[in-house]
Amino acid sequence: MIKIENLEKVYRTEEVETKALNKVSLTVNEGEFVAIMGPSGCGKSTLLNIIGLLDEPDGGSLKFAGTEIAHYTERKRADLRKRNLGFVFQSFNLIDELTVVENVELPLIYLGVSAAERKEKVDKVLEKMQIMHRRNHFPQQLSGGQQQRVAVARAVINSPRLILADEPTGNLDSSNGNEVMELLTELNEAGTTIIMVTHSEHDARYAHRVIRLLDGEVVMENVHKQFTA
Amino acid sequence: MLQNYLKIALRNLWRNKAFSAINILGLAIGMATCLMIMLFVQNELSYDRYNEKADHIVRVVFRGSIQGQKIKEANVMPPVAQTLQTEYPEVQAATRIQESGTPRISYGDKSFKEGKVAMVDSNFFQVFTIPLLQGDPKTALVQPYTVVLSKAMAQKYFGAANPVGKVLTFKEWNHSCKVTGVFDKVPANSHFHFDVFASLSSMPDAKSSSWMTSNYFTYLVLPAGYDYKVLEAKLPQVVEKYLGPQLHQALGMSFTQFRQKGNDLGLYLQPLTDIHLRSDFTGNLEAGGDVRYVYILGSIAVFMLLIACINFMNLSTAGASKRAREVGVRKVLGSLQGQLVGQFLLESILLTLVALLLAVVLVTMALPVFNDLAQKQLTFDLLATWWLLPSLALFGVLVGLLAGSYPAFFLSSFQPVAVLKGKFTSGKGSLGLRSGLVVFQFCISIILMVCTLVVYQQLEYIQNKKLGYDKDHVLVLPEAWLLGKHAETFRQQLLQDPRVVSVSTSGYLPAGPSYSNNFLLSTDDNPTQLLKVLRYEVDPQYIPTLGIQVAVGRNFSRRYSTDSTAVILNETAAKTFGWNKNDLGHTLSSSDNQGRKVTYHVIGVVKDFHFKSLHEPISPLIMTLSTTAGAVIVKAKGADLANLVTSLKEQWNKFSAEDSFSYSFLDERFMQTYEAERRLGRILYLFAGLTVLVACLGLFGLATFTAEQRTKEIGIRKVLGASIPNIVSLLSKDFLKLVIIANVVAWPLAWWAMHRWLQDFAYRVSLSWWVFALVGVVAVLIALITVSAQAVRAAASNPIKNLRVN
Repeated sequence: MIKIENLEKVYRTEEVETKALNKVSLTVNEGEFVAIMGPSGCGKSTLLNIIGLLDEPDGGSLKFAGTEIAHYTERKRADLRKRNLGFVFQSFNLIDELTVVENVELPLIYLGVSAAERKEKVDKVLEKMQIMHRRNHFPQQLSGGQQQRVAVARAVINSPRLILADEPTGNLDSSNGNEVMELLTELNEAGTTIIMVTHSEHDARYAHRVIRLLDGEVVMENVHKQFTA
Repeated sequence: MLQNYLKIALRNLWRNKAFSAINILGLAIGMATCLMIMLFVQNELSYDRYNEKADHIVRVVFRGSIQGQKIKEANVMPPVAQTLQTEYPEVQAATRIQESGTPRISYGDKSFKEGKVAMVDSNFFQVFTIPLLQGDPKTALVQPYTVVLSKAMAQKYFGAANPVGKVLTFKEWNHSCKVTGVFDKVPANSHFHFDVFASLSSMPDAKSSSWMTSNYFTYLVLPAGYDYKVLEAKLPQVVEKYLGPQLHQALGMSFTQFRQKGNDLGLYLQPLTDIHLRSDFTGNLEAGGDVRYVYILGSIAVFMLLIACINFMNLSTAGASKRAREVGVRKVLGSLQGQLVGQFLLESILLTLVALLLAVVLVTMALPVFNDLAQKQLTFDLLATWWLLPSLALFGVLVGLLAGSYPAFFLSSFQPVAVLKGKFTSGKGSLGLRSGLVVFQFCISIILMVCTLVVYQQLEYIQNKKLGYDKDHVLVLPEAWLLGKHAETFRQQLLQDPRVVSVSTSGYLPAGPSYSNNFLLSTDDNPTQLLKVLRYEVDPQYIPTLGIQVAVGRNFSRRYSTDSTAVILNETAAKTFGWNKNDLGHTLSSSDNQGRKVTYHVIGVVKDFHFKSLHEPISPLIMTLSTTAGAVIVKAKGADLANLVTSLKEQWNKFSAEDSFSYSFLDERFMQTYEAERRLGRILYLFAGLTVLVACLGLFGLATFTAEQRTKEIGIRKVLGASIPNIVSLLSKDFLKLVIIANVVAWPLAWWAMHRWLQDFAYRVSLSWWVFALVGVVAVLIALITVSAQAVRAAASNPIKNLRVN
């Protein structure tokens, strides 16, 4: 599903040049759950952002389902994002001024889905995330775990082929964290590919495979579970 | 999608109530000001356009110069209308208006003195679009002694009865006039407003063939689309052909000789629609507007709107960090930048429309005050004018786009990677732009403040200027000619009153409406050189009553019978004639109405006094003795003027009919001369205040923004031991810099503007540096007060909290 070859990203300030990614190559198969680990500054978030088309690489190739997307135009990137990708962030990133329902339906609005269909889909996903009773609350009225469940609901509402999770449990206590990991596992089992950046060895164990980065290079790959496509 | 945008827009407005309130208020004030000025400008530009032929009616005017004295008359000679129509086929119609003073009109036991009476040619109603409710516009004024009345006038005299066919008595004309028509009223935006139009054919003078008097306002109808300049180019031939011979007879020299001596007289054309705003003629039908004030107010409106929009930009981008996450999320979810721009523009349009509602309320409330200031009767009725509502909506949308465009592009350009990771810092570059905007706002405020101060200084100067005559405690009864031969008796009676110092009877007044008499003469030194001077016909009491100083020689006296041909000069006249002012005994000669030569001998010179407004330099003036009363001028001892007026009225009524008494104070007449400047002063004062207010709102926004931007820096400084005053001065310093830059930019502009404005006064204050300095200091103080509140809040906040967030 994702094929990366010799990916490079360099951050330049006036005097310093930092190689965030140095010829990274990796492949993620359709339906796989991959965790990316490494110390702060190893380039794992940069990698995730490039895969999520939020950032552009300086070199190398990035293929999504066989298509080269490394240098897509802004319009094409936005289109690919809204059709195929779902994002989950450490800090949830819900919009404070919108209710649970309004946050979750946002991707559908950008896809031009009708109001009736939106309602049906949102109800279904909120049911699944067990957050239905909070549907008309605002983010600040929810606990961290609830907020992240809403964020996950928003990430999956457009039935993406790939979910990108950036430390999804980083702001949660362990029981809420486990709940979110269970949710992601369920989604993966239902067929969604997941790439997750994490600090937590515990969370990484939910993945099929762990890729470890150090100073912008892949240094190790561990296979936890056998993945069969 | 739209619904989602609206929802979030409203919730954001509601959440940041204080911000929204400042934003809406600033925008509303800006828009309200702009709307009011637009109403004013629209009204000024609409003058005389109610006429169907407005675009191809011109007025014939008279310009020239005699001996360096400029002549600019809005009225021309009696035969001009007829002559032009006969000579040039392109003149489709020509019509004339002559003002009729203040005749007394009676019907039965009803009798009033009317001020708005004109005599017009019979085709008047075919040239000007003033529809008749009754009567035939083509024939109503053909017969002599016929009149057409306004509806109000007809009601005043005849009540509900049908006015047509009734007969009114005109006392001064010793004649009765038959009412032949009724019109509703002359539109407010007309350059004349008469209630009574009488047939000009009643006046023998109307058929006069004299090219030596000019007292007819003459209008021509040209073919639609015809360039009036073409006809204007032919007018010198007419002047030479008709005026030439008569001039030759009067002056004894041909028109060519007259021109060779540097003189000139000519007829010119002025488009009807230029009359209100672009007339610098003496003797207009009504005091017109001034196109320069339209420009000044128009630019204030534009600037006010810009300032309000800049405010909006500053405040919206100041609150940007609050919206950054939303932008990031929306982009991650697949929104394009264009869609976000659309969303933010929609939001600003929404906010603008809310502000517009408030502005409409403000305009409705403030319009009476503005009308009072601007001396207008502007109306703002949303329902009465069909185009008002849609154009207001369009205005709101345009302002929303103008104000919202920068914030929209600024906000929508946030990169999701940065904002979603909490590493959000909005660029330093945008701070630079915002600072520029604040400089601009303060610049405008400072310019307006300087202008206000200078205008007030000049008004103060005018008020306190030594005029060479004493305007205090002087009463003017302008219509002494009504007393006829009783004027002298009346004068004697007044002198019995212990409150009266002296009384003069002369219609020549140094302030306000006055008789005026141009006089051509030659001096004994140079008998062939014609000079144009102003001639005042006065009595022996005139000079003492007005407190004019005799420099050399003596005042007139009835004791010398030779004083009937005596003349007193002002110093400027003596200088113009090339005489040493102690040089009495010279003679001046001129020809009287019958063309006979009259010689005047100089008996005295008075010190120069300002008999014209301070806009104009003092020109040569001569005074001669006269026995006819124009106005009665009463110098009182002061104090109890109200009671004096009452007893003057009692005295007056012994000699003249009831309710013909009218009076004014000379000092008030003097101030009325400067009404336009005083009005400008008041309007500037108001708008300077408003711009400062709105600019402060903007500064407040920027201060909030910077304080927010620099919370981390402030936290670190405090941890390292900075005190609150240290931080406050750190934050305030930057703004001080902006205001100082604004001053530097504003001063030369303000100096230039005021320098030009003052050029209009022959006598004026000099621009002093302290005005600029004062305004600068005031601007800095205002800015400091606005900023310090935010600075103190930021400085007093807990550093640990700020650092943890970042």
